[in-house]
Amino acid sequence: MAHQLAIESLTKNFQTAEGPVTAVDNVSFGIGGDDFFTMLGPSGCGKTTTLRMIAGLESITSGRVVFDGRDFTRVSAFQRGIGMVFQSYALFPHMTVFENAAYGLRVRQLGENEIKTRVQRSLDKLGLGGLAQRHPSDLSGGQQQRVSIARALVYEPTMLLLDEPLANLDAKLRVQMREEIRRIQKDLGIMTIYVTHDQEEAMSVSDRIGVFDRGRLRQFGAPSEVYADPRSLFVADFIGKANFLKVGIQAADRNSAKVAVRGYAPFAVARSVTLDSEESVEIPAGSDGLLLVRPEHLEIAAGVEGGLPCRVRRIQVLGSFIRYIVECDAATREVTVDARRAAPGVSEGSNANLGFAAEDALLFARKRP
Amino acid sequence: MTGLAPSPRRDWLPWIVGALTLCVLVAFLIYPILKTVLGAFVRQGDEPSFANWTLYNFERFFVAATYKSAVRNSIVVSVLSTVVATLLALPAAYAVARIRMPFRNFILALSVIPLVAPPFIGAYSWIQLLGRSGIVTQYAADWFGITLPPIYGLFGIVLALSLSFFPYVFLIVQGALSAGDPYIEESAQVMGASRWRILRTVTLPLVTPAIAAAAMIVFIKALGNFGVPAILGGEMYVLPTLIYFQVHGFFNLNGASAIALVNVLITLLAIFILARINRRRRFVTVTGVTRKAAQLDSLGARIFANAYVWTLLALSLIPQIMVVWSSFAERWAGTTFPTEYGLGNYRQVFGDLFQPIQNSLVLAGIATVMTVIFGTLLAYTSVRRRFVGRWALDLTVMLPFVLPGVVTGVAFLVTFNDGWLVLTGTGTILVLAYFVRRIAYVFRSVSASISQVDPKMEEASTICGATWARTMRKVTVPLVAPGILAGAVIVFATLISEMSVTILLYSASWKTIAVAIYERLASNEMPAAAAVGSVTIALTLVLVFAASRLIGRSMADMFR
Repeated sequence: MAHQLAIESLTKNFQTAEGPVTAVDNVSFGIGGDDFFTMLGPSGCGKTTTLRMIAGLESITSGRVVFDGRDFTRVSAFQRGIGMVFQSYALFPHMTVFENAAYGLRVRQLGENEIKTRVQRSLDKLGLGGLAQRHPSDLSGGQQQRVSIARALVYEPTMLLLDEPLANLDAKLRVQMREEIRRIQKDLGIMTIYVTHDQEEAMSVSDRIGVFDRGRLRQFGAPSEVYADPRSLFVADFIGKANFLKVGIQAADRNSAKVAVRGYAPFAVARSVTLDSEESVEIPAGSDGLLLVRPEHLEIAAGVEGGLPCRVRRIQVLGSFIRYIVECDAATREVTVDARRAAPGVSEGSNANLGFAAEDALLFARKRP
Repeated sequence: MTGLAPSPRRDWLPWIVGALTLCVLVAFLIYPILKTVLGAFVRQGDEPSFANWTLYNFERFFVAATYKSAVRNSIVVSVLSTVVATLLALPAAYAVARIRMPFRNFILALSVIPLVAPPFIGAYSWIQLLGRSGIVTQYAADWFGITLPPIYGLFGIVLALSLSFFPYVFLIVQGALSAGDPYIEESAQVMGASRWRILRTVTLPLVTPAIAAAAMIVFIKALGNFGVPAILGGEMYVLPTLIYFQVHGFFNLNGASAIALVNVLITLLAIFILARINRRRRFVTVTGVTRKAAQLDSLGARIFANAYVWTLLALSLIPQIMVVWSSFAERWAGTTFPTEYGLGNYRQVFGDLFQPIQNSLVLAGIATVMTVIFGTLLAYTSVRRRFVGRWALDLTVMLPFVLPGVVTGVAFLVTFNDGWLVLTGTGTILVLAYFVRRIAYVFRSVSASISQVDPKMEEASTICGATWARTMRKVTVPLVAPGILAGAVIVFATLISEMSVTILLYSASWKTIAVAIYERLASNEMPAAAAVGSVTIALTLVLVFAASRLIGRSMADMFR
């Protein structure tokens, strides 16, 4: 049976010395089946607190956690049947790898033979077969990580929670482990909630992403959707690289808006977002909105004629593509251009011009008072 | 060579310092111990040699009833005190570490008082309370018709010792419980373990090494304690009081050596058992987790925790409160309560009791300076230099830590009573005995500090051309100064009222505070003894408090 998890208006207030702080503010979303859901955001955005409330490790100020129609709010952590992997792995240092993995089964009072088979199967699945009698302190970081995953999965929990599980590993191992986690997750068909601040990690493994900012869930959706169609400046900026051009809006109706970069002919943009009052403040004075153009949608050519004039600061050859960092008067900051091949005649320090297709741009318009 | 090259000379100083330290250790620690061991195997008056070899001194342990019962009493007293102290301390440690309680730091600071107050004067307070005509005894009889067990003997000794020493377990285990990685317990919780199961399978196993180490300290302290059984023992002898009896009654040093040896054997046996228990356990490496351990917040838990902790603290502080109270008693003869209060006892402190106080300060002061110098140098050598036999150095320094004070006293009496260096009756013998008995405190404290200082800082100083002495003076010592100061204060504070070794080595011209108090207690002048005791407790507390402020550590931290 496919499980369903619904988070309804979840809120968490902390009392601090400086007064109450809202760590999680009215967060709602729903996932189900074997979804791999990632909560993404900068540190202190409330994603870990949300995870800990789902696990039952943190009390809920208001709102509900509903699992398969059952209200989890008053169910204590040890009755929720959850598997969890911590950033520090939290392995029991006084137990062997085997005993660590067996812990959840012993709690569930399984027979000794059953425990042996299950633990062995689980350890083998994570390539730890030969390490059963070692202590955690004898293992490498990657191995400890695997043990903590094995330990969380061995009793077949209904849901797997991972709190920045890869933060303590080196870059190469991180990429390898995240693929492995997803493979096992799909293998077992277990609903998974994953917390990270690394957007590339989130994009690469998730079915769904929730982007958190200052306690609020800013956007919820598939990685491609969140990247291509961000609903706020924060999400646009946090997911992938973003270039913002200052624009004036000359006319707007329900389907499109006519915008102009200063000194150029107006053109129509089909996709637009009206910002909330908080983000509207971020639009510079003298402009009506910001136009988002992703680096891979910009084209760069030599000479100042034919597009937005710019000056090339830096060219980085990154293998599969070339990255130009340029200065442009129309942009809010340095502009990044990712080109498939080198533009002839463009060198560091030279003048160039930028072009893009109107259908690749997304308009963020200031909220009308 | 260009301009600023340092003068090319060989740096001999570390070798000279090392050799000097070694000589001091050999002369005042290893040699006395060897001589004591040898002396135990010859008859009184015989020269120690193979020809005179005998087990005569040990025969009495199988023949004489006093000896047999002293061994049994020592073991029973130490084991019971350790068990009671540990059982009393564990719930308190858990409560303070894991249950939300107000005044947490104040509780920790209060728990230090029983450690700095001389236990033997506290023991006398129990007589005033629970003795035959004690305050509590009389009220229990008058109001409830209850006859309390006699305070003299096993009950009183175990009561006084466990209430004086439980803070070691309390402070150490409390520290271990608050320092652990909170995620470890949370992961057990998520896996479905109940609170009780987590306590049993995760929390307790993880702090077991700390509990064992703390219990060991209590056991060693209880086994070597002279003052409490001397005052509360009545007819009951333990090994330290038996040694005192041998020395003061018969001046039979060989007999005393044999008893001392048996005392040490019991200690070693206990350490061996501890090592066996701890062998398969690994110490937790505390991770850099900033989150504190989760604290229970339920009303029931909080009420229980507060009631328990404050009751325990009150019980353990009763002797100290009694001491301060009776120090103001002008007339207290044959009545339940004093009939007149005043400051007369304090006037006496500044009169004829001034000399012992001065003696204690001088002796403790000189001994502290010595422990600081040699303890720091030894700690530095042990942590920084790789050399063969480093374990032997560590073991030698830590040896007096496990030797009961009376044993060190006997060793010094045996060694410096005749031969190449006669010191009996001088202040020097006290200073030297204090020195070897406490050097481990500075050694431990400074070792811990030095191992936290990156050796690259010293290397940088050497590369810049500084000599070893300059590097020590300008880089190492300033960096480990808090560790040195912490060690020094504990040494000084505990030496002011040192009893176990002093009682064997003091002379008429070098009476210390502890001796003065003991003499007055023996002649039933409790108020006068209490005045000295109060001054001592106040002085020690002020010292420890000032040092903790200076270092920026809590008072409780300094005893962990």
